[in-house]
Amino acid sequence: MTLGAARAGPAKRASGAAAPPLPYDEMRDAKSRVRPHYAALAARIETLSADELAERQKTLERFFLLQGITFTVYGAESSTERIIPTDLLPRIIPADEWKTIEAGLTQRLRALNMFLADIYSGQQILMDGVVPRDLVLRAPSYRREMQNLYVPHQAYANVCGSDLIRQPDGKFAVLEDNLRVPSGVSYMLANREASKRVFPGTFRGAGVRAIDRYPDLLLSTLKSMAADWRPNPQVVVLTPGVYNSAYFEHAYLARLMGVPLVEGRDIVVHDNLVYMRTTTGLRRIDVIYRRVDDDFIDPLTFRRDSGLGSAGLFNAYRAGNVVICNAPGTGVADDKAVYAYVPEIVRYYLGEDAILPNIETFLCREPAQLSHVLANLDKLVVKAVGASGGYGMLVGPHSTRAQREAFAAALQADPDNYVAQPTIQLSTAPCLVDHAIESRHVDLRPFILSGEKIVVTPGALTRVALRKGSLVVNSSQGGGSKDTWVLTDRKELSP
Amino acid sequence: MMLARVADSLYWMGRYVERAEHLCRLSDVMLTATLDRTESATQIARIALAAVGDPDDAAKARNPYDAARALVLDREDSGSVASSLARARENARQVRDQITTETWERLNLIHLRMSDPKAARTFAEGSQAFLHDTIADLHLFKGAADATMSHGEGWRFFQLGVYLERAQLIGALLEVCFGDRGRRGVTDHSALTSLLRMGCALEPYLRVYTADMQPRYILQFLLLDEDFPRSVRFCTARIEEHLTSISRHVEAMGLTGPDRLAGRLRARLQYADIGEVQAGGSSAFLGAVLDECAQVHRQVYETFVAYTLEQRLPA
Repeated sequence: MTLGAARAGPAKRASGAAAPPLPYDEMRDAKSRVRPHYAALAARIETLSADELAERQKTLERFFLLQGITFTVYGAESSTERIIPTDLLPRIIPADEWKTIEAGLTQRLRALNMFLADIYSGQQILMDGVVPRDLVLRAPSYRREMQNLYVPHQAYANVCGSDLIRQPDGKFAVLEDNLRVPSGVSYMLANREASKRVFPGTFRGAGVRAIDRYPDLLLSTLKSMAADWRPNPQVVVLTPGVYNSAYFEHAYLARLMGVPLVEGRDIVVHDNLVYMRTTTGLRRIDVIYRRVDDDFIDPLTFRRDSGLGSAGLFNAYRAGNVVICNAPGTGVADDKAVYAYVPEIVRYYLGEDAILPNIETFLCREPAQLSHVLANLDKLVVKAVGASGGYGMLVGPHSTRAQREAFAAALQADPDNYVAQPTIQLSTAPCLVDHAIESRHVDLRPFILSGEKIVVTPGALTRVALRKGSLVVNSSQGGGSKDTWVLTDRKELSP
Repeated sequence: MMLARVADSLYWMGRYVERAEHLCRLSDVMLTATLDRTESATQIARIALAAVGDPDDAAKARNPYDAARALVLDREDSGSVASSLARARENARQVRDQITTETWERLNLIHLRMSDPKAARTFAEGSQAFLHDTIADLHLFKGAADATMSHGEGWRFFQLGVYLERAQLIGALLEVCFGDRGRRGVTDHSALTSLLRMGCALEPYLRVYTADMQPRYILQFLLLDEDFPRSVRFCTARIEEHLTSISRHVEAMGLTGPDRLAGRLRARLQYADIGEVQAGGSSAFLGAVLDECAQVHRQVYETFVAYTLEQRLPA
């Protein structure tokens, strides 16, 4: 199939407005030449007919269906289980760009863990007025119960999945930090399995860095959180159950780590010790990799109506008899309003400038910024502070007048609850859509582990906005994903 | 050591898979009998329907095709093949981390085909091919489990489910044919052949007893044969074997496991004599066997899954 030089055209805009910069094209430079790191893949695609590509796409989808790699879309009536849309053309990141990403993510997570350790102990950063006190302490994700609780290695967020986007100038920036229960890593691993089948030759030749150590690195990260005096700590994965949209991922990780996948009803807390019900009686649990939100961990401490967690779990955690990963209350560091202060937070704790910049963010709690946001609703993206998954969001340029009016009213009623950012033209990458190769907007979600040390897996989940022109990549909103190849540094390979 | 909930799911996965396979076979035999247009077609359909506990067997047996289609595809009926497979797969999904990818893929594939909107049409176009493929795939599933899963505790719970279900299904089938609840005994040649087919036993039977179709031999074969994998005796021997292995750990804790019951059940079949069974009334014997199977099931649940915490908390 010939690769047309067509780029994703800029969205239609009202006449008279300044033209927004064209999005960065991952495969082609400004003169439409294929970038060197995409050359091999582009050459391979040229040799394949549209039918052959469609055939490979089918193979890929069948692989996902057979494995039961499915996702539950909330609000969809037809079926509860669907395959996550997956694109067969990998997204490629050269070694030098990855180096910056890796350094930037490591720096950022180190600072955010220090921030959490500070917030949940002496709160020095609030005393020094770097971050407004009420912004942190009034955030719904702040957990007073976590105050003065010992967390090994100050590793609050053991698993972090940050959302990066590439701006029109080619630089990566952080759009969001996910420090609560980030998901998607199983898709990263499954996409890789699939793309090895679809493009084996190109894959071998490209020098793609391996990501298959993720499960054992995750296990050793979790084990490093256990108390020293427990010689062979029992790690478990806690899932809300088979009806959760990410259940496949929970089972997948438990299987690859070789640890039990437990539900709340399998857990018994007695005398501040945590056990699971096995066929031969009760067995101690030392570390819980929980994939249940803070609110649902323990009905005695958090939400009383929760049936997903286990009564008494939090007290056992406070007593130091079990470790919950990620720690409850990490959400305060990925709060969309606190986000605006992350560059300051990095400078405060590490004395360094942030390697990965933030996206410019307007806090609607500030009256001056609120009026700017209200005046520019058609150009900005407005997000509710507490929401995630692409819900509660207004994408200005793609919105209707009625939607903007509804948001304006909501903003004025509860300004603290909203932030706004300029509409960023996410970079585009080639995707196979209806038998043709077209550009679609993509983001990048790498996964960072932090326990005794911080490890960035050399790979990521690239999320794709499959609807033409759309900028929303969330799987719950018509997004898909594709494999991400991080290339080996050739210079380091040759002697 | 494994989670109690997981053991329970593996056990039920085994039971549902076995049930689905058995129902496919009953439907297949029912449909084959209709094709031959023999006079016993209705009787065969009645046997099959009564064996799955359908109270309307007499009425439905007059239209074996509709009865078979409902038995296979009716999602409203919790006892159909489609429902059994959906539950087997749901149980497998809950313990996805415990079963190998090879095993999971087989079961998922069968479920996807059964729940495909086109399934009804495929069944209409060639019901026997459809049933044949489903049975073959279920064999592949069991084979994959056998060949790729570790033969540890989890696998034993799965096998326990398979054999306990099988013992009960074959027992129920024999009760319908040879029990003395006022039903006319099955003596017709083609009905007897069909009965053996329902137990997947025709060829192995012929090798032992030749083509001499005698109700007494058939009862002896399906109930007491030592080597045939679908005889009740064979099933109970496996049940005892798996339970003995599973119970080792709880017995080490000073508790009694359900293996004593299983041993008694196995002995009952191992030392039975077909003459004595018939003299004392097959119904009484089969009833006792089915009762003890149900007891084993209850005790497995009480010992391994739903035990009271007071007994197991550290002192």
